[in-house]
Amino acid sequence: MTKTRRDALKTVLGSVALSSAGWSGASAQSGGKFVYANNSPYDNLDPHTIFDTARAASRFNLYDGLYRWVDNPPKMIPWLAESHSISGDGKVYTFKLRQNARFHDGKPVTANDVVYSIERIIALKKGAASLYLDAIKPGSTKALDAHTVEFNLSQPSAIFLTTVPDILVVNSELVKANERNGDWAEAWLARNEAGSGSYALRRHDPAVGWTGRRFVEHFAGWTGQPFDDVEFRTVLETNTRVLGLIRGDYQGADGYLPYDQIQRLKQSPNVQIIDQESMRVFILALNTSKPLMNNVHFRRALAYAFDYDGFIANIMKGSVNRNPGPNPNNIWGTPPGLKGYSYNLDLAREELKKVTEPLRPITINALAGFSESEQAATLFQNTLRQIGVEVVVEVSPWSVVSSRMRNAQTQADIIPLWKSTYYVDPNNWVGELYGTRYHGTRTFSYYSNPEIDRRLDRALVSSDQEERRKLYEEMTQIVSDEAAGIFVYNTKWYGPYSSKVEGIRFSPVSNGQDIRWASLKRG
Amino acid sequence: MNWLSLVANRLIWFLPTMLGLLAIVFVLSRVVPIDPALLAAGENATAEQLQQVRERFGFDKPLPVQFLRYVLDVAQGNFGVSLFTQQPIIHDLVARLPATLELTLVAVLIAALVGIPLGVLCGLNRNSWMDHILRVVTVSGLAVASFWFAMQLQFLFSMKLGWLPLSGRIEGFPPTPVTNLMVVDALIEGDGEMLGDALRHLALPALTLALPAAATVVRFTRNGVIGVINSPSVAYQKAMGFPRRVIVWKYVLRMAMTATVTQLGLIFGILLAGAVVVETVFDWPGLGAYAVRSILQSDYNAVMGFTLCTGALFVFINLLVDLLQAAIDPRGAA
Repeated sequence: MTKTRRDALKTVLGSVALSSAGWSGASAQSGGKFVYANNSPYDNLDPHTIFDTARAASRFNLYDGLYRWVDNPPKMIPWLAESHSISGDGKVYTFKLRQNARFHDGKPVTANDVVYSIERIIALKKGAASLYLDAIKPGSTKALDAHTVEFNLSQPSAIFLTTVPDILVVNSELVKANERNGDWAEAWLARNEAGSGSYALRRHDPAVGWTGRRFVEHFAGWTGQPFDDVEFRTVLETNTRVLGLIRGDYQGADGYLPYDQIQRLKQSPNVQIIDQESMRVFILALNTSKPLMNNVHFRRALAYAFDYDGFIANIMKGSVNRNPGPNPNNIWGTPPGLKGYSYNLDLAREELKKVTEPLRPITINALAGFSESEQAATLFQNTLRQIGVEVVVEVSPWSVVSSRMRNAQTQADIIPLWKSTYYVDPNNWVGELYGTRYHGTRTFSYYSNPEIDRRLDRALVSSDQEERRKLYEEMTQIVSDEAAGIFVYNTKWYGPYSSKVEGIRFSPVSNGQDIRWASLKRG
Repeated sequence: MNWLSLVANRLIWFLPTMLGLLAIVFVLSRVVPIDPALLAAGENATAEQLQQVRERFGFDKPLPVQFLRYVLDVAQGNFGVSLFTQQPIIHDLVARLPATLELTLVAVLIAALVGIPLGVLCGLNRNSWMDHILRVVTVSGLAVASFWFAMQLQFLFSMKLGWLPLSGRIEGFPPTPVTNLMVVDALIEGDGEMLGDALRHLALPALTLALPAAATVVRFTRNGVIGVINSPSVAYQKAMGFPRRVIVWKYVLRMAMTATVTQLGLIFGILLAGAVVVETVFDWPGLGAYAVRSILQSDYNAVMGFTLCTGALFVFINLLVDLLQAAIDPRGAA
């Protein structure tokens, strides 16, 4: 790697600090058991097909990636890989694996396992696959020796390194032995585990959850008083999770509980709430491909007609911060001073006057089971009615909404939803939401603008951080001017944990479910 | 009609009933605005891969052909594979059925043990203060929302008094099952601690389910007793000088039980398929919780498998009820 390339890498990473810090070799004392109550089912443990942040626990406790995101603001630290280098043309990434990493069955983690893992991700086309499908072709990744792996990208990618933590490495020998009819052992790995992670799977019952035992030989070692056993349970009912935390049945639960429940938990001496500014933007996604929705004046009228302050103050109880653009407030890529839109029905009516085509009823498809999504839809329906726009509110489960989103014609006009963190780069938000290249997979808007696409094409290959910053800021400004979406707030994460637990390291990627850092308070 | 012909008669209807159920479930699953091929192939699948999945699972065929194929698969015990657990549906259902069965059995048992004596007492003391009070209680039992009642029980017995666990089937992760009926497994293994733990976990969800069921049983038993108590046969037994205790608990109860038994059977069937709310609130890993997750994830095969399974159980329970009724009152089977 040349000096220039190293400098370039440094700038590409931006806020990402690549550090070897993160653990020490000190020995650990024996800890107890950690029970986590989650609102999403652990019906599948396959790290290459599950990708939602709600179920990060099985991915990050049972498996390791080459690098790992920790803390907030997120830092990327070396994990299975000790270091990497990038070729001069930015297309070849070579990772050196650490020598002492082993899978739970004792087999060393090798470059062949990394190659098999990326091939499996690409072949299954589920989970994190969309991050790699454009850049990595099947058969292009090579094991140079037992501990050196080479990724040959089809084109330079400024975001590839930030997505590397999602290449979770499976024990290729074990997985291959359980393949049936070329299924990449998809059925087997849904119920079993083949990782090297901090915890090894003991039991899995899709109806209940899973338990793990601390992997004492984990390469990162252990410090403090880590938990010997972890249990991740599915507890769908919010009230049961909350009462369980107060009783001390659970030591942790998901961090996006309704705020009234957070306030209830704060009253309990058994519970501590760890609050962090997350990177999860609540937006009202606009399907800009549909008639009327493709009119910029109509979209601006919509943007002026949402009561941002009322929603945040009354429905969210002031627990979140206004986020005027598509990128979270706490990441680069948003132009300084971006104001976005404010609630002003007079301005909305003025914009509406510029719309020459006849109005039609607008459909808002809220997410079933997510009260903020449903409440935003109802609130918007009321304010839009005041400017003469009729709204039909539909409430559907995510699977229905996402299935409709595959086709611009079937997607609803407006969907109130969140854009979570899958990798820490503004491309995760403004790029994916508004780039034509992401239509049909990761866009929510079907927005298409050559000015955005031209900048995005450049931003995805540039190794110059300043250039990338400028490009994403320009894209964000265009998206705001064009009202391509309605941006409401950036979520605050209120992680409820037992007051006897310490050392929780929240990262917007792993959502506080990476339990290896946690331990029982001493004394 | 003897018992054999009664069973044969019900079995003859079993097939068309299940076919009807299959048809309804199949049509409903296909009108939902979701592409099943997309769910199976994954959100990043290319158009070519989607087409491959459509061909592999027959989604490209006309609906009648798809239906026929599904019926043939089901006839061979193949309900398909869950899109999310990646396991055969039949495995998922078999794994979860015991939890629901255990909960439902206990709830029905409580409902019968509480409801039948109270119903008899109300019937014998018609329009007394006790009858009025129990009428209010039973109407309330039917009217109260089960999720609200469940939360009140949790709040009182788990949070305030700390007597009973909040949720789950057993403390910690369940042990490797024998029958997967926790109480039965504890008895088989002679594990008193596990038995106590399983019963403590059963108490609140079973009570929640039992309240409206007991209310129904009280009402039907009361009406049955009132209908029988003034009948000529009871007058004859009184005239013969039989003790009141014998008349009530042997003759009156037996004649009055026909409607109650029917109701208990129906309640059992309804609870098997409908313990969704209670299973969700108490984190009870049964069929109801499975159905909720499958519906939320639009797991077609799982939803259809669950519906067929509970439908078949319902038909089977109705058959048992018919047989029990015939045993109680042979005139009905004639």
